[in-house]
Formats: sequence, C-alpha cells, structure tokens
Amino acid sequence: MLEIAKLSVSYGRVRALDAVDLTIRGEGVVHGVIGPNGAGKSTLLDAVTGRRSPTSGAVRYRGEDITRKSVAWRRRRGMARSFQRTSIFQDLTVREQLSLVARHLGDERAGDVIEVMNLGEYLDEKAGRIAYGVQRRVDVALALIGRPQMLLLDEPGAGLSAEETLNLFLHLRALVRERGIAAVVVEHDVDAVFACCDVVTVLDLGRHLATGAPAEIRADPRVISAYLGSAA
Amino acid sequence: MGARGGLLTASRAVTGRRPLVVILAVLLFALGALAPAHLVSEFVLRLGVEGLLLGMLALSVAFLMRQAGLVALGAASIYGGVGYLFAITMSEWDLSPTAALFAAFVIVIVYAAVLGALIVRTNPLAFMMLTLAAGEMVSHGVMLEGLRDYTSGADGLVVNFQGAIFGLQAADFASAPRFWPIAWSAAWVLGLAVYATGRSRFGAILRAVRENEERMRFSGFGTYLPRLIAFVFVNGVAAVAGLLHVLNSQFVSPESLGLSVSTNALVASLIGGAAGSIGPIAGGLFFAFAQDEFGAHGFTQLLTGVAIVVFIVLFPRGIVGGLIEAARRRTYLAPRRGEAP
Repeated sequence: MLEIAKLSVSYGRVRALDAVDLTIRGEGVVHGVIGPNGAGKSTLLDAVTGRRSPTSGAVRYRGEDITRKSVAWRRRRGMARSFQRTSIFQDLTVREQLSLVARHLGDERAGDVIEVMNLGEYLDEKAGRIAYGVQRRVDVALALIGRPQMLLLDEPGAGLSAEETLNLFLHLRALVRERGIAAVVVEHDVDAVFACCDVVTVLDLGRHLATGAPAEIRADPRVISAYLGSAA
Repeated sequence: MGARGGLLTASRAVTGRRPLVVILAVLLFALGALAPAHLVSEFVLRLGVEGLLLGMLALSVAFLMRQAGLVALGAASIYGGVGYLFAITMSEWDLSPTAALFAAFVIVIVYAAVLGALIVRTNPLAFMMLTLAAGEMVSHGVMLEGLRDYTSGADGLVVNFQGAIFGLQAADFASAPRFWPIAWSAAWVLGLAVYATGRSRFGAILRAVRENEERMRFSGFGTYLPRLIAFVFVNGVAAVAGLLHVLNSQFVSPESLGLSVSTNALVASLIGGAAGSIGPIAGGLFFAFAQDEFGAHGFTQLLTGVAIVVFIVLFPRGIVGGLIEAARRRTYLAPRRGEAP
C-alpha cells in the first residue's frame, strides 16, 4: 500500500532521515516504528503525510507517486494521521469537530468512530475542557473519520498510562483488522508495540535498522545494541 | 444508536424562549426604525446615523477578527473608497445613481478579492500590516496630483446625484429623520447576515482554520479559500456601509479612507463586543455619542483613550458581552454553545 524509496529529510545540515526504504502492507496490518530519540520516527511520518518535504527520495501510495502532493489531497485519498502533541480544535465541541470533518469527507457512518473511541459522553463538551486522555482519543478519532485506508499515528500513547496505551493499541488493532486497512504507529512504549503490532521497523539516527515480526526484532542483536539494550 | 445516529445532528435544543425572542426582535426592529424620528432631535438622530454606519463597519472588522483571527486595519479604504468610486462612475461613466452604486460595489469586491488573494495566506501580524499598507496606499492615492480631476485631492469630493435610488431621492438620504430607518434596517440586515454566516458550516470551518490550521489541512480541508471568501465577505459588508455613508453625507474626503476610521471601527467592535452582531453595532453607537460628549469638553482624544482603556479592562468581552455574562450569572442561565448573539 505504501512504498518509501530512499527517503531523506534534512534540517539544515542535520540529516534527520537518511535514504530510508520501507514498504507498508495493507489489509489489517499494524506496523510499529520504534527507535531512540532523534531516530527520525516522527520525521518519517511527517515526510509520508506531506507535513515535511523530503530532500530526496519518493513516497508511493497505492502505486501513485505522492511525494509532492498536498496534505489535504493525501487526506482525501485516504491517508490520515494523528500527532505527537494533541492536535484538535480546543474551542469546538467534540461533536462539532467530528461532524465538521465527517461532512467534509462524506462519511455518513462517522458515528462508528465515536463508539470505537468511546467518546459518546463527551460529544457536547468543548474539547479544551476534557481530560488529556480523552483529547488524545479525539485526536485519533479525527484521523479515523472518512474511513481512511492508511492510518499514521504519532505516539498515540503519549501522556497516557501504560494500561491506557495498551488498551488504545488493542482497540486500534481490532479496528484495523475489522476494516482491512493499514496502520503505522510510532511509539515509545515498546511493550505495547511488541504486543499489538504485526510488523515492527526500527530506525536509528535517521537510518533504517531492521524490519520484521516482533519476535525477530526482539532477538535482533543490532536492535538490542542500538535501542532495546538488556531490557529486551 | 445513540451517538451513532446523532453525530451529524447538532444538539441544539429548541428552547421555549425562541418565539418570544423573535417577537421581541420584530418589535425592537419596528420601534427602532420608527420611534427615534419622533422622540429625539435631528442632531441626535444624525449622531445615531453616524454610530450605525460606524457599527456596520465594526461588524465587518469584528467578523474577521472573531472567525478568522485576522485583524484588518484597512477597512476604511473600502468604506471611503466605495464612495469615491460611486461618485467617479457617475460622473465619468455617465451611470445612473443606481447603476453607479452596483458598479462601485462590484469594483470594490474585485479589489478585495485580488488583495485578499495576495495577503490572506500570510500570518496574522503580516496580514494586519498589509491591510494597513494597502489602506494607506488608497488614502494617499486619492490625493495624487494626477487624480485630482477625479478625486479633488485633499478637498474631498461633493457627490451630487440626480434621480432616484430604489425610489428615494438625494434629499431623502441626506435627511437624518428619513435616513435613520434606512440605516437601522441595513444594520439589522447586515447584522443578521453576519450572524447567520458565523453560525453556518462556513463559519465553523473558519473558526476551525483559525484555531488549528494544520489539523484542518490534515482533515482534508483547503484553508486558503475559506479565508479569502471571508475577506471578500467582510469587505462587502464594509462596502455597503460605505455606500450608505456617501448617500447620506453626499461627500467623500481622504479622511473617510484614513487609518483613524479603521481604528475607530476596531475600537467600536472592542467596546461593544466582537463576539456577535449586536456588540459591534452597539459599540459604533456608543462610540459616536461618546466622541460627541468628549468633544464638548475639548479633550476628545484624551478622553477617548481613557474610555478605551477602562472599557477593555472592565469589559474584556465588550459592553454587550459583559451584559450577557452578567445576566447569565444573575438568572443562572446555562452558557450557550458557540458564539454570543
């Protein structure tokens, strides 16, 4: 579904992403991306979703080169994302923001998202007044509206407890499988990633280190040395 | 079903007060249109007309500020500019007053669209400075020696017109008692148009763009066009106010295009309250009467400055916003979602 070819992103003289090659399969696959701070995980998501222009390389989505396409274009073609720092509309109620996006994307079944993200009791609350954990769920809900084919989530567990993160991941995995879509999840909580992802990619210093099933990644000496350490 | 079925339907409960509010509004409209001409002097009525015109201009400034988070300092260039265009299209193109009215309006809308296309993409500070620059260019442009034949330079332009506009003669527009109902009706129409636009889906999109432009783009929205449409819309409101102004005063001068008129509109919207349609119009009326009162003491600018500071500190939501808030606290009314009336 998504092919990333020799993708590089530089911030001035710093190379945040260095010729990364990666293929993300669709159809119910949750693909985790892990790595130490500064590995280029969020930059990878930014480059794929159009938030950041790559210095070189290409992004192909469902066979089409989308490297220079706008953010809004990608979203309308089914590529949605959430953010590391909650990015919602603080001054709108949960209902207002979800219905605004649902109407724009023509998603008549957007009510499903409310159930999946368990937001029913917060619909008429202004988003800025609800608990942070619920705000994170609104952020993910905004990405889920429009029945996207590819979901890219940047640290969806940030600010949540380990238990909340695991629950969110389990919910997500169930949704991805039910809808037959693909999800790429950048996350620091390695346990949640290994428990819920079908494939895991490890980045280190902007380079692709390894991709494989969770068990393979846990046992990979390069990954243990660069990131997991003795805790693995 | 619960949430599933109800998501796309806003939970606006129809309150039992709505018919009462409509009846009161109709009564207020009729009373406001007819009573002042019988109750107050022509001088007071003239001040009231000035206040309403300023209020309509403030309405345009407040809408852009509230919905798009953009402060425009060039509203007067539209307000005064459309008056110049009205006069020039009549004299140079031999248009009838009604045709000149429409021609001036269309030219201003095209100008606003071109200017907006260039500047709405910028950040709010740059936008404010660019509207100021564009406004100043227009206000100094009318004084250029090469345009003196058309604009009469710093002397201003007397706008004489023959014939009727919508059945009304020049004398009707110039007479405060006869013009007051026109200005009052226009203020209501523009106020309701601005209110309805703010409450519409377009208004919600604008507020969402103002609040989190990036999230809007990542939700599949283009963010440029809504801002451009909003900019053209508010300039349309300012142009209507400007046309009414020139019909009433039958005179335009560089002062009517200047920064002071733009800042007066901004101050009026802050004093009245920028959150809805009533606030800016009330602010315009308050400003006009306060200016007259301060002028009588000979310290217009000083007292105006003091009044602005006091109002903005004591009533950060403006007079109307403050009164609504106080009434809510007193009557334990639940705060309403969305914007103030």
